[in-house]
Amino acid sequence: MLGKLDWSAIPFDQPIPLVAGAMVLVAILGVLAWVVVKGHLPYLWHEWITSVDHKRIGVMYVLLASVMFLRGGSDAIMMRIQQSVAYQSQGYLPPEHYNQIFSAHGTIMIFFVAMPFVIGLMNLVVPLQLGVRDVAFPTLNSVGFWLTATGALLVNISLVVGEFARTGWLAFPPLSGLTYSPGVGVDYYAWSLQISGVGTLVAGINLVTTVLKLRTKGMNYLRMPMFCWTTLASNLLIVAAFPILTATLAMLLLDRYLGFHFFTNEAGGNVMMFMNLIWAWGHPEVYILVLPAFGIFSEVVSTFSGKPLFGYRSMVLATMAICVISFMVWLHHFFTMGAGPDVNAIFGIASMIIAVPTGVKIYNWLFTMYGGRIRFTTPMLWSVGFMVTFITGGLTGVLVAVPPADFLLHNSLFLVAHFHHVIIGGVLFGAFAGFTYWFPKAFGFRLEEAWGKAAFWFTFIGFYVTFLPLYTAGLLGMTRRLQHYDVAAWRPWMHVAAIGMGLLCVAVVCQITQLVVSIRNREALRDRTGDPWDGRSLEWATSSPPPVFNFAFHPDVRGEDAYWAMKQHAKEQQLEHHPEPEYEDIEMPRNSPTGFVCAFFASVMGFALIWHIWWMVILGVLGAFATFVVFAWRDHDEYVIPAAEVARIDRVNVEERRSLVSMAGGV
Amino acid sequence: MTMTATIGHAHADPHHIGIVVEHPGPASKRIVTAYGFWVFLLSDIVMFSCFFAAYAVLVGQTADGPKGSEIFEHRNVAIETVLLLLSSFTCGMASIAADVRNRFWFYLGMAVTCVLGLAFLTIEFREFANLVSRGYGPSRSAFLTAFFSLVGCHGLHVSAGVLWLLTMMAQVFAKGFRADILRRMMCFALFWHALDIIWVAVFSVVYLLGSAV
Amino acid sequence: MSDQAHVPTGHDLAPGEEEQHSVGERILGYVVGLVLALLLTATSFFIAGTDLVWQPSIPVALIVLAIAQMGVHLVFFLHITTGPDNTNNVLALAFGLLIVFLVVGGTVWIMSHLNQNMPPMDQFIRMHS
Repeated sequence: MLGKLDWSAIPFDQPIPLVAGAMVLVAILGVLAWVVVKGHLPYLWHEWITSVDHKRIGVMYVLLASVMFLRGGSDAIMMRIQQSVAYQSQGYLPPEHYNQIFSAHGTIMIFFVAMPFVIGLMNLVVPLQLGVRDVAFPTLNSVGFWLTATGALLVNISLVVGEFARTGWLAFPPLSGLTYSPGVGVDYYAWSLQISGVGTLVAGINLVTTVLKLRTKGMNYLRMPMFCWTTLASNLLIVAAFPILTATLAMLLLDRYLGFHFFTNEAGGNVMMFMNLIWAWGHPEVYILVLPAFGIFSEVVSTFSGKPLFGYRSMVLATMAICVISFMVWLHHFFTMGAGPDVNAIFGIASMIIAVPTGVKIYNWLFTMYGGRIRFTTPMLWSVGFMVTFITGGLTGVLVAVPPADFLLHNSLFLVAHFHHVIIGGVLFGAFAGFTYWFPKAFGFRLEEAWGKAAFWFTFIGFYVTFLPLYTAGLLGMTRRLQHYDVAAWRPWMHVAAIGMGLLCVAVVCQITQLVVSIRNREALRDRTGDPWDGRSLEWATSSPPPVFNFAFHPDVRGEDAYWAMKQHAKEQQLEHHPEPEYEDIEMPRNSPTGFVCAFFASVMGFALIWHIWWMVILGVLGAFATFVVFAWRDHDEYVIPAAEVARIDRVNVEERRSLVSMAGGV
Repeated sequence: MTMTATIGHAHADPHHIGIVVEHPGPASKRIVTAYGFWVFLLSDIVMFSCFFAAYAVLVGQTADGPKGSEIFEHRNVAIETVLLLLSSFTCGMASIAADVRNRFWFYLGMAVTCVLGLAFLTIEFREFANLVSRGYGPSRSAFLTAFFSLVGCHGLHVSAGVLWLLTMMAQVFAKGFRADILRRMMCFALFWHALDIIWVAVFSVVYLLGSAV
Repeated sequence: MSDQAHVPTGHDLAPGEEEQHSVGERILGYVVGLVLALLLTATSFFIAGTDLVWQPSIPVALIVLAIAQMGVHLVFFLHITTGPDNTNNVLALAFGLLIVFLVVGGTVWIMSHLNQNMPPMDQFIRMHS
C-alpha cells in the first residue's frame, strides 16, 4: 500500500536530523497557525499564492532562496565544525550522516538558493527594465515557481522521512546506482531536481521570450540595460542546458527503477558517460548563475558612479561570448578521467579563453567607476568586494584549467576553495547587491545602510578567513569530503576555517537584523518617488512598489539609460507642464491557482515515486493533467483595470516625481 | 510617465550608437506564444540529443546480446515513417482548416492525424513487446537500454501529442476557433512537426545506421 | 498583455506561421513537402539495404539524406525561412543546433577517448584475454 515507506524511515535513532526536522516542523506549523488565526489566509491566497504578477513571484523566489540559504548554511556550519574537531577522532557526525550533509549542502546551495535567488531578481526586475507590464507567460511563471518550491520541499522532507543522497551533489554512479545506494536518498535527490528542473526550464523559456519579444517601444536590443542582456544569456543557457540535466537524471533513474544499463558496470553500461553528460549541464550552470550577477553589478556600478556603463557594446559581446563558450569547456571537470592529451589540451585552452570575456567585464566596471562620482552604498560595497574576490578566485580557476596542475589539485580542498571563491564572491555577492539595490523597488522602502554595511564586512572578511585556509589545506594534500583525518598539518587550517564560519554566521545575523530594523523604521526609509538611488533604467521610472500594471503607458525609449535621459530632459524643460495624457483601460492576467495546484500534485507524485507508492504516482499525474485541462478550459483569463483607477494611481506617482525633479533641478 | 513623450535623441544616446531602426514595441500574443513554444521545442531537441549521444556511445555495447541488425525490421520502420509523414501532412491540413475556421476539415484533419499517430504507436508497442518477450528487454544490454530509451522517449512524446490532440479537438468543439485556442493549435502543430523531425533522426541513426554496427 | 495594447510590428512572424498565402498555395506547400520527404525517406531506406553503392559511403549518405529531410520539414512544414521576419526564429534554431552539435559531437569524441584510455571492464577483459 505504501511502497517502501514504513516507520523505519523516520530516523528515531539519529537525534540531530530528527530534532532539526521537528524544529522546522514546529516553526512551519507555528507560522501557519499564526496566519490562520490572524485571518491572513485569504490575503495570502489571493495576493501571493495564486498571484501571476511577476513582481510577487520574484519576491517569493527570493524568499524561498533565503529560507533555503539558512538550511544550506546550517549544513555548512556542521561540516566546518566536524572538520575542525575530527582530527584523529570521529568527530560528532557519523560518516553516513556527514555524507548526507555535504550532498545536501551542495544541492541546496546551487539549486534552491542560487538559482531561485537570481531567477527571482530577474523576474522582479526584467519586465520593469523593459518597460512592459508582465512576463510573456504569467501563469506558467507561477507554475515554474511552485515546481521549484516542490523540489525544495522534497529535499527538506528527506530530513525526517528517509534519508538524503550520500553521493555528493552530483550523485556520480556507480556510487549512486542501486548496488551502492539502495536507499531512497538518491531518489530524493533525483526527483526533487527533476521537478524543480522543469520549473527552472519554464522560467528560462519565459524570460527568453520576454526579453526577445516583449520590449517597450524603442527598446532596441542595444538599448537594453545590461541586466536584461545577461538575463537573456543566462536564460538561453537554462533552455539549452537544463534538458541535459533532465535527460541525464532520467537515465540514472531508469537505471535505478527499471534496471537499465546506462551507467552500470554490468552489461556494457558506461559510468563515465554520466560525468560527461552531467558536466555538459554543470558547466553552463555556473554561468547561468554568475551572468545575472554580472548584470546586477553592471547596473549597480553604473548607477552609483553616476555614469553610463563603460564599454556597453563590449559588455554585450562578452556576455554573448560567455554564453556560447560556456558550452565548450565541460571536460575540465574531469581532466583526470583518462581523456588523451589532445582532448585535455583543447578543453584546457577553451577554459582559459573563457576568462578573457570575464576580464573584459572587470575592466569595464573599473572604467565605469573611473572618474565617476562614486557613492559607497551597500550595493556598491558588494560590487567592489566582488571585483576583488572574483579576480583572485578567477585566477585560481585559470590555474586549475591547466591540465597538469589539475592532476595535482583535482578533488582537493583547493578545488573546493576555488569554486566557493567564485560562487560566493560572484553569485552570492551579486545576489546580495541586487537584493539591497532593488529592495526599495519591491517594497517601497530602503534597507538600513549601517546594518547592510556591517553584513558586507562580516561576509567579506569571514569569507577570506574561511576559504583561504582551504586553499592551503588543499595544497597540503587534503582531499574534499573527509569525515575525519589523521594529518596534523591540516588541523590548524581547519580551526581557522571554523572561525571564519563564525564570522559568516555573524554576517547572516546582520542581514536578518537589517531586515527587521528596516521593516520597523520603514516610514523613515520610505521611497516616495520610486527612484531612491538616482537610477538610470526604466524600473526607477515607476512608483515603489510599482502598481500591478507597472506602467500606465508603455514608455517610449529613445536611447540607452532610458530613465536617466527622461530625467535630464525633464530638468531641461524646466518642468513645463505637459497636458495630462488620456488614460486607458488596462487588461491584466487574472490570478490563477494553477501553479499551486500543479505543484501540489507534483509533490504527491514525487514523494510517491521516491517511495514506490504506485497508485499515488498515478493520482499525482492525473491530478496535474486535470489541472492543466481545467486551466485551458477557462474563458476569462484577463481582467480590466478601468482608466479612472489607472489615472488615480499614476497621478500620485507623477506628482511625487515632479517634486523630486524640481528639487534636483534646483528650480 | 508624462515625461516620456518628447525626449530628443541627443541625450538619450550616451554611447553615440547613432539613429537605429526603432523597435516597434511588444509583439502580438500570437507571436509571443508561438515563440515561447519554439524555444521549448529547441530545449526538447537538446534533451533528445543526450539520448542520441548515449545511443551513439552505447550502440556497440551489446554484452553478447543481439546486435541492431539482428532485431531491427526495416519494413516496420518504413511503415512507421510513412504513417508519421502522412500525419504531419494531415496535421498541416488541420491547421489550415483552423486558420480559415472550417470545422469539418479541421475535425477530419485532426481525426486522421490521431488515427495515424495511434497506428504508429501500436506498431512501436508491438515491436517493443516482441523484443521483451524474446528476452531482449532494455535490461539485457547497454545497447538495448539506449535503444529503448531513445525510441521510447519519442514514443512518449507522440503519446503526449495524441492526448494534446484530443484535448484540442474537444476545445474547438466546446469553444470554437477562439484566439487563444488558435494559438494553442499553432503550438500543437509545431510540436507534431518537430516530433517528425526527431523521427527522421531516429530512423536514420538508430535503425538504418544502427543496423550497420 | 492585452491584444489591442500591442502595436502590430509588421516585420515579425511567429514560428510555423506562413506569409499571407491563399489556401490553395498553402496546401500545395504541404503536398510538395510530403512528396520530397517521402522521396528522401525512400532513398534512405533503399541505400541502407542495397549493395549497389560503395559500402563505406552509406553512413555518410544516410546522414546527408537525414539532414536534407530535416531541412525539408523545416521549410515546408514549419515554414522556417531566411527572411527578415524570421530572424529570431532562425537564430534560436541555430543556437539549439549548435548546442546539439556540441553535446553529441563532444560526447562521442570524449567518450571514444575515454573508452580507448580507460575501457569499460568487459571490453578490458576481452582485450586482455
